[in-house]
Amino acid sequence: MNGKKIFGLLVTILILSSIIAACAQPTPEVIKEQVIVEKEVPVTVEVEKEVIVEKKVVETVVVEKEVVVIATPEPKEPVILRLGQNAADMSTLDPHFATTTEARALVDMLFNGLVRYKPGDGSVIEPDLAEALPEPEIVGGKQVWTFKLRRGVMCHPSDGVPSYELTAEDVVYSLQKSAKPERSAYAGEYDGMTVEAVDDYTVKITLDKPLSPVLFFPKVANYSGGFIVCKKAIEAIGDEAFKTNPTGTGPFMFESYSPLEKIMLVANEAYLRGRPLLDGVEYRYMADISSREAGLLTGELDVINGLPDIVWVDKMSKEKGVRVDVFGVGEVATVHFNTSVEPLNNPDVRKALAYALDRDESLALFGEPIAENVYSPVPARFLAGGMTKAEAEKLHLAYDVDREKAKQMLADAGYPDGFSLEVITSEMTGYRRIYENMQAQLAEVGVNLTVDLVDHSSMHSMIREDVNPIVVYIAWRPNADVYLTRFFHSDSIVVTGAKPDTNFSHYDQIDDMIEAARVVIDPDEQVGMWKEAQMKILEDMVAYPLHFQQQVYARSDAVDYGHELISVLALYPHINENTRIVK
Amino acid sequence: MLRHIVTRILFSIPTLLAVLTLVFLVVRVIPGDPAVAALGDYASKEAVEALRERMGLNDPLMVQYFRFLSDLLRGDLGKSMITGKPINEQVAYVLPYTLELTLVSILIGACLGIPLGVFTAVNRNNLIDYLGRLISLAGLSVPAFYFGILLILLFAVKLDVLPAVGGGDLKKPADNLNHLVLPALTLGLIMTTSVTRLTRSAMLDVLSADYVRTARAKGLKDRVVILKHALRSALVPIVSVIGLWAASLIGDSVMTEVVFSRPGLGKMLVGAIMQRDYTALQSVMVIYAAFVVVVNLLTDLTYGLIDPRISH
Amino acid sequence: MDQSTKTLPQPAVQLRSQRQRLWRTFIRNRTTIVGFVLVILIVLMSVFADDWFIALLQGRKAQPLLAPFDPAKQDTRNRLETPSKGHPMGLDTYGRDILSRIIYGGRVSLLVGICSVLLGGTIGTFLGIVAGYSGGKIENTIMRSVDVLMAFPSLIMGLMVLAVLGSGISKMIIAIGIMLSPSFARVVHSSTLAVKENEYVEAARSIGVGQFRMLRLHILPNVLGEVTVLASIWTANAIRIEANLSFIGLGVSPPTPAWGTMIRDGTQHLTNAPWISVFPGLAILITVFAFNLMGDGLRDILDPRLQV
Repeated sequence: MNGKKIFGLLVTILILSSIIAACAQPTPEVIKEQVIVEKEVPVTVEVEKEVIVEKKVVETVVVEKEVVVIATPEPKEPVILRLGQNAADMSTLDPHFATTTEARALVDMLFNGLVRYKPGDGSVIEPDLAEALPEPEIVGGKQVWTFKLRRGVMCHPSDGVPSYELTAEDVVYSLQKSAKPERSAYAGEYDGMTVEAVDDYTVKITLDKPLSPVLFFPKVANYSGGFIVCKKAIEAIGDEAFKTNPTGTGPFMFESYSPLEKIMLVANEAYLRGRPLLDGVEYRYMADISSREAGLLTGELDVINGLPDIVWVDKMSKEKGVRVDVFGVGEVATVHFNTSVEPLNNPDVRKALAYALDRDESLALFGEPIAENVYSPVPARFLAGGMTKAEAEKLHLAYDVDREKAKQMLADAGYPDGFSLEVITSEMTGYRRIYENMQAQLAEVGVNLTVDLVDHSSMHSMIREDVNPIVVYIAWRPNADVYLTRFFHSDSIVVTGAKPDTNFSHYDQIDDMIEAARVVIDPDEQVGMWKEAQMKILEDMVAYPLHFQQQVYARSDAVDYGHELISVLALYPHINENTRIVK
Repeated sequence: MLRHIVTRILFSIPTLLAVLTLVFLVVRVIPGDPAVAALGDYASKEAVEALRERMGLNDPLMVQYFRFLSDLLRGDLGKSMITGKPINEQVAYVLPYTLELTLVSILIGACLGIPLGVFTAVNRNNLIDYLGRLISLAGLSVPAFYFGILLILLFAVKLDVLPAVGGGDLKKPADNLNHLVLPALTLGLIMTTSVTRLTRSAMLDVLSADYVRTARAKGLKDRVVILKHALRSALVPIVSVIGLWAASLIGDSVMTEVVFSRPGLGKMLVGAIMQRDYTALQSVMVIYAAFVVVVNLLTDLTYGLIDPRISH
Repeated sequence: MDQSTKTLPQPAVQLRSQRQRLWRTFIRNRTTIVGFVLVILIVLMSVFADDWFIALLQGRKAQPLLAPFDPAKQDTRNRLETPSKGHPMGLDTYGRDILSRIIYGGRVSLLVGICSVLLGGTIGTFLGIVAGYSGGKIENTIMRSVDVLMAFPSLIMGLMVLAVLGSGISKMIIAIGIMLSPSFARVVHSSTLAVKENEYVEAARSIGVGQFRMLRLHILPNVLGEVTVLASIWTANAIRIEANLSFIGLGVSPPTPAWGTMIRDGTQHLTNAPWISVFPGLAILITVFAFNLMGDGLRDILDPRLQV
């Protein structure tokens, strides 16, 4: 009797759990139907030559016998590169909304731009979908850039839309999408730009205000709003569905997505630069560093996003069969002081805090060469317009640590016992370590910082609500103009600005300098003006530049990316058609 | 009898409804903006606002509530606010992992715990019992995540014999099993301690019961007495709370999934909280709560069946 | 919960002589004493981690006393140092002394553990007695609400409450207190029901003893025994739950040390600096174990029928 009851209970529980689960769709993976593309199957041919020597009295006859053996093509195990990424789940695959590190890497593998950053070296721009980098012309008083497109670039096949050739129509559609706020997170960058198709392979871009190549090409590069999407594919399924079903022209195509687990990419046989050496990429979501580490060491993963921590890099470098790559771009960490709140509205208080901060102490948390001190908001190491340590020291704007001086300045400003401030920080290593260390450093001069931990996205929304009197922000921007505009132009002031962005300091003293520098064509003059603007920022001490953090990725030594890693804007090691796994 | 069953079922419906409403309300109160979570730090205010509209976050609360309830009735757990994919898919994907972890852990707990419980009940008040009680108490005291970390340090880091991460491929049983060992051990061993205690107390109760003493007096061999009569009676209260075990495991299983980075309902829950994915958070909590309500109902019914004293 | 483990209610008069018997059993039960001593040691360690009592009198900031270093002092250039003579438990990722942080960390665990149980116990006992004694609609409403709250797996409820309230010691106390009160309410409710049925109580009621006096003198003392046992066991649970919540990331803010948070911070360095996670975990284990021992022992003493 008891056995029956037990059994009955178990069955009931199982049935109930199944009912709960039964509401679900049976297929956990969304697999895209692929249109069959004719492909030649390589056939191994063994040629056996038999040489028969027949000895005859008078003459020798040599008979060559050719035996052609057709071996059945052994299905080769597909070579898939497995990458462990520091994220919990997919955010989006629409390149115009891809803002997180995790999304940027994916869209980089799926899409192209008119021009591209040279794989592995973000300081060089080369043609991508365009045949060549155009020179700007002045037509009717406006600056015009004319691009000639490559022929035969094929869009990936997608649901309901077979593979088709990408033309100027797609480019125009895509750039127009990038310019609309409801279809793109980068719409602001495309103001004053008109895009038209002259013919199927020619695109004309007209700018209301002229820009130097340094400022223009990033907008049409394989980055942020410059990625080109395939018009027919996105029109067939709509913007929403496109976020999880992308169609581009890149070396890899989207195959499937398993929620919270991974995204499968498969090689694009018809890629414009040739079939990729890899058969596919498995992009795994693993937000925990220990899991990623373990995955690499046990051979389950080929590449992982590491920790921006020299201790971690040293440890991993010692492992057999593992290589660690540290490369740019260096995302700059800057401490912004909100000049509209007390007591930070007093410039002497801000300067005191700057003197209280020790860059080297903060740097030790990450370690060189992963991180390096910076002395201006624009990083001199990577971008034109940044100031080096020598330059800053010559101008007495380096604010080298001097805690006694800091305490004195605070006392003079009326705060002999310091004061208290409340801030929130993201959980992410890069942010959290800086804030917690800053807390300890400022405590030495009597400034009491309360630090609350929130999740990453909450931090980003909260600081844009002006919650933090002191804001640490870590970011890469493609050039000095974007850095200065988005962080220090009054239009960008959080909450109250004309186009609220990331001006956390509420600074409004260099608007004219930024705008003037933007339209200068001579690069040296432009750099000079950018440096002047930053001198003002440092004199007023509205932002204290700390250091930049580079990208850290570890891989099995069987992985060959196909290029040197110097700097990558997409914040990952650039996996493309030349990447391979050497067994 | 039937009336008792029907009454209990009917009673649990308002409970379930209250639970669902509580979940709905609480999820709406959580600070943080899912639209910003979806778009990231580059997004402009307009883009964020546009997404909020599309997510339906600006609709009046009552509208959202009724949408929530009607969707649930249809078995639709909604769409994830971050990925836009149906939550049912996500749940269907992770549920097998959670189920296999739970079942195997209960199995380990039962297979190790019941014999241990019997053993310590029979060998009362000597060194083995004492040690056993101490170990089982230690097992109750260790947080599941810490135990998992220790196991990882030993088997995955030091010895390098088992994977520390993931759930493995469900379609490859060997791989799947490989990834199941450490998490199941973590949960299972912790379960063992409470099962042992429960079995021990149930056995002791039974052993001191009159009819057992009578059986002993009749001269049946000790072993026969224990195994046949006592265990059978003791098993009833133990097994009828299997469901409660699964429910009590939920907290620890969430922690275990997090520590081992193993796909499952628990990891999905924590992920939803961190990503401010209202819908996913809501749906997982609904599943958990519904599961516990159902399990409690079943346990109540079972007790009602066994113990004639308890019936309203 | 075992149905067979209820106490028999007793009239107030007999309790006094029982206390003497209890004391004797207490002394004799070794495990309880060990548990008790451990708990006292941990409490002392946490209380005297720094010299707050002297600092209070002198009007200055407290300095570390039992702890060798200031738990918030960072030394980033020496971060992740292995355990050595100067720092027996090594340094964490910011170069802070782990031993000091463990000593100070006990404060959070104990504060949260004890206060949340006090809060939950008080609320739960109050609700349980009122429900049990009043009966009818009041009883129904209260016990139905208790059912609803108990429908949530405790950790899930804790996560929900903290996600709403935000993190921090006071919020954790509230969250865990709310988590525990239904269990207290349930037990106290059935206990009250049992006591209510007792002849002695009926007799007292019939001669007109006032309700409040009834509750205070007769019902409460009988219920209190079970509550105390439950409280000590639940303190162990509360401390473990606090560790869980801190580990997920909903604990105290930096730089306040808390064991669960320390373990979490250490998972980044499991392979090269495991001591960061291992030592705080041991601290949790020992503390929870101590409270469990004490609770078990108390149960053995106060409720002889509950021989487990």
